[in-house]
Amino acid sequence: MANKSVWSDNRFWQRSATWVTGFASLLLIWLTLDTSAQIQMGTDADLKNGVQKRVPGPTVINYKITYEMSAKRGHEVPVIGEKEKFFGRDDYSEEEAGALLHLGKLGSQAKNCMDCHTLLGNGAYYAPDLTKAWLDPAWGPDGAMQALTGKNTKEEAMAEFLQHPDQYATHARMMPNLGITAEEAKGLVAFLKHMSSIDTNGFPRNFGRMQGAVNGK
Amino acid sequence: MIDQVVVHSEIALNDFLPIFVSSALVLVFGGVYVGIYTAVKVKLLKPWTMSIAYLFWLLTAYCLYVMGSLMHVDAFTAKALVIAAIGLFLLPFAVYYMQHRVHEENEH
Amino acid sequence: MANNHLTSESKQLATWYFTFAAILFGAQLLFGLVAAIQYVMPGFLYGLLDFSIARILHINALVVWMVFAMFGSVYWLLPDETGIETIGIKIGKLIYWVFVAAIVVVVLVYLFIQVGPADPTTIWFITEGREYIEAPRWADWGIVVVALTFVANLFLTGMKGNRSGIVTVLMADMIAFAGLYLAGMFFTDNITVDQYWWWWVIHLWVEATWEVFVGSIAAYGLITMIGAHRKVVEMWLWIEVAMLFGSGILGLGHHYFWIGTPEYWWEIGALFSALEPLPLVAMFIHVLYDWGKTQGGQDERGENKSVITNKPAFTWFVLNAFGNFLGAGIWGFFHTLPQVNLYTHGTQFTSAHGHLAFFGAYATILVGMMYIAVQGTNGIKVMKHTKASLWAVSMITGGVVGMTVALTIAGYVQVLVSRAQMGATWAAYFDGQSGVWFTQAMDWRLIMGAITFLGFVFLAKDLLTTGKNPVHER
Repeated sequence: MANKSVWSDNRFWQRSATWVTGFASLLLIWLTLDTSAQIQMGTDADLKNGVQKRVPGPTVINYKITYEMSAKRGHEVPVIGEKEKFFGRDDYSEEEAGALLHLGKLGSQAKNCMDCHTLLGNGAYYAPDLTKAWLDPAWGPDGAMQALTGKNTKEEAMAEFLQHPDQYATHARMMPNLGITAEEAKGLVAFLKHMSSIDTNGFPRNFGRMQGAVNGK
Repeated sequence: MIDQVVVHSEIALNDFLPIFVSSALVLVFGGVYVGIYTAVKVKLLKPWTMSIAYLFWLLTAYCLYVMGSLMHVDAFTAKALVIAAIGLFLLPFAVYYMQHRVHEENEH
Repeated sequence: MANNHLTSESKQLATWYFTFAAILFGAQLLFGLVAAIQYVMPGFLYGLLDFSIARILHINALVVWMVFAMFGSVYWLLPDETGIETIGIKIGKLIYWVFVAAIVVVVLVYLFIQVGPADPTTIWFITEGREYIEAPRWADWGIVVVALTFVANLFLTGMKGNRSGIVTVLMADMIAFAGLYLAGMFFTDNITVDQYWWWWVIHLWVEATWEVFVGSIAAYGLITMIGAHRKVVEMWLWIEVAMLFGSGILGLGHHYFWIGTPEYWWEIGALFSALEPLPLVAMFIHVLYDWGKTQGGQDERGENKSVITNKPAFTWFVLNAFGNFLGAGIWGFFHTLPQVNLYTHGTQFTSAHGHLAFFGAYATILVGMMYIAVQGTNGIKVMKHTKASLWAVSMITGGVVGMTVALTIAGYVQVLVSRAQMGATWAAYFDGQSGVWFTQAMDWRLIMGAITFLGFVFLAKDLLTTGKNPVHER
């Protein structure tokens, strides 16, 4: 009969499992508290004072957003620039912009966007990633989509496409008509513009490098 | 924790395939290593095959090195990979030792 | 399952759970086929059952059939482990029908209503639109009630009867499993916060609590099928819990690289991801060791007989050890470090990993439990393979591995073309999708998916008929 060793003692391992799990959970909770504070949405005042937030406030839709290489961080980061008109206005109040974003976020869930597209890289892989869709050259002044939809601005082209995706055959894999109303489309575009301003640690890398999206225009 | 940038250097286009292959092989070789080790210990294989097991561990460590350098991992991740390699080396010893101990205590 | 040998009501309830799980498994494969066809022929069912809906049904059926089979497994092993009938089994049976009815309603709404206007009623009654947990909010609350009843059954029985190590682990694990679901039941305008908590449900289920669940079931299986020594198996189970939770809980970090969360998650995610395969390797050694020892012991006593009392179930359990290592281990590890995940995140690589990991880590062992239930229901002493069971296991495994390889190739094309060179724009995405390698990979995925489905037909046939087959020893 061998000696009882601690390594083959059931209770020792039971305690170890409990301690390891407890410790890992506590660490996760502590990190969650820290992260939660950092990913809190910013405010309008932050934007006005140039305070950088990982997730800016909804009034970011009043500003021009570009995606530029940061020498300090070694990858691209969203940069919030001067004022820019969004559906003809650049003076959305915190309430108005918040309501638009709310509508857009609800819409993104009510239409199951995530089951074809990826948002922040998560979702399905049947259609393009939407993380930086707002910055996509396809929707810019030199892209095809404004001419195709007969609109003069990025946001109007996007809103028009979202309402009638089945009329603009861009690819054999067409987006179906999901009954998106004009107001919902506006909200969804605000949601996309806001999402493009989130600091995603350089994901996606080299976004539109070949088409000139990086380093703004 | 971070003062240096982690994702910095670009991965060269031709490096993607070696990265995927080497990181898959890390665990394939690692699995063969622990498999042979355990099989020798429970006497399913002859003892001399143990040297082959260690050879597979060396291959594992090499693949980790290739993978890490092609990915341009930072100092922290490099350390994590070294720890993983050592952990994998010790794993079958520890598991076998404990299993064996319990068997001894319960069957004799 | 009439005229059966079951005296325990808990085991009867388990067979109900397994039956519905198998039906949903079939549904999962069917809707998966629809989605796979749509990759090859985009016009297929366009406007009727679009890709998004087919995929919702594909992945929701997956999650729900696994939860059903998990509940079934617990109801099956509880009387064996505790030595008593499950407490509150009548309520357990009632809740089963509530659960089934709720799922039928949710599926019908997915199929025929599909989407709603952008307001909270859609979230409450049609879809929540969050991958894997699309179920509308009313169903969330239903699931909470069902899960609490199940946990109550488990706890009351565990506390009154003989609380074995396996039951203790299951009690702790199932309460975490049920509790984590609550993290996915709120709405926020902040997509980063949304995804932060969404991963708590998804990751802490499939890479932590479900893995521990599999560990417990494997322990039960080793004891019942090959007569492994309980003390060894249970000690091992505790070690596994320590390793799985130790690496898995903070392994959550590998989902926080790119969703707007701080950079320190790169280090945490990289470190714990590198450790995550170790318990899977260890599980694999353990099965080999236990089988070698038990068989060796028998051989020494001159009993020239296999120690395995249920061949098909044991085959699926061994596949589990392999599949977990392959799908979760290898296919997880090669795109987990942030340096390379930057390019692979959100490509078909993820999909390849998802297919092999869900199959290898969970589907296999749950099908194994179904065979154990068939054995018990029919009073079989030693259960053998039939032609159908062999066809089922080889076609399903071959099909899933084939799909995984095809998706891996597709993912590689995406990484090179859409990500590394063109940088993930709309144009980059479609350039990647139209490459010859990508489209051919999708053809192969469809073919392999069809083979998997045929394998399922054999599996269903075998599960329904093998109980009466005279080849088994009774």
